[in-house]
Amino acid sequence: MTLGEVYFTAAQLRRRVGELGAEIARDYAGRDLLLVVPLKGSIVFAADLSRCVRIPHALDFLQLEPYGRGSGVKLLKDLDADIRGRDVLIVEDVVDTGLTLHYLNRTLRLRAPASFAIATLLDRPYRRLVELPVRYVGFTVPDELFVGYGFDLEQRYRNLPDLHVFHRERGSGRAA
Amino acid sequence: MALETHDFQAFRGTEPPRFANRAELECAKVLDYYGLPWEYEPRTFVLETDENGRVLEAFTPDFYLPEQDLYLEVTVMKQSLVTRKNRKLRKLRARYPEVNAKLFYRRDLERLAERLSLDLDE
Repeated sequence: MTLGEVYFTAAQLRRRVGELGAEIARDYAGRDLLLVVPLKGSIVFAADLSRCVRIPHALDFLQLEPYGRGSGVKLLKDLDADIRGRDVLIVEDVVDTGLTLHYLNRTLRLRAPASFAIATLLDRPYRRLVELPVRYVGFTVPDELFVGYGFDLEQRYRNLPDLHVFHRERGSGRAA
Repeated sequence: MALETHDFQAFRGTEPPRFANRAELECAKVLDYYGLPWEYEPRTFVLETDENGRVLEAFTPDFYLPEQDLYLEVTVMKQSLVTRKNRKLRKLRARYPEVNAKLFYRRDLERLAERLSLDLDE
């Protein structure tokens, strides 16, 4: 299987993630920031972003059940942390329709955080079906499939340092 | 068309939906799965009338998402064939500027299908 061209190099990703981290550090200075990371696609971005947010903050993880296993979306792994009164920032790999994040927004807000916002590496706003508090965007991207930098194809390629386009005619499967 | 029956939880309409194709059914299932309230073809918009007020052209979007106040039209046509639907949408926006409507293209569905393993085949 052949990957497509590099869309963002590791250096481009590092630079942009650094900018996002600095921005988040400025905005959340003196606050009780908790980065919430949905597994698994966001882990590479979240690990890099967290190290660029140069203020004290905590990390926690959750995982949603894959689509189609039950009658409705639910958490396979819930947060360990109590988020009441804390400033929650969801760290997402990509936002398109927004359906998943809409569920998280609705669910986590019931736990009374002080604030709730979203940081995403990639954004496809033209595909959005629901409005979301997306506050930090790494890159707005076209309607391509991507692998690498946490994005997978059947659980592979997450480890690639660059973000690659994956051409549909060369294969099929789940990707960003 | 014989499509599977489904016990929808987030459906907010009154009449049971009768989907025109598999793609509409799969869309409904996705909206339902994520708990996003939806209605099926709840309103027809008149786009054009003659001098006697007779309706010459109308448009009934497939879905309405009440929480988003958004009408959603699903098209399974190829990108090159959606000109007519795009024209209807432009007319809708011109005549009903307060209405929020969006076309969900075949490629959008294919993206969803890839991510969520949907079956879009008839």
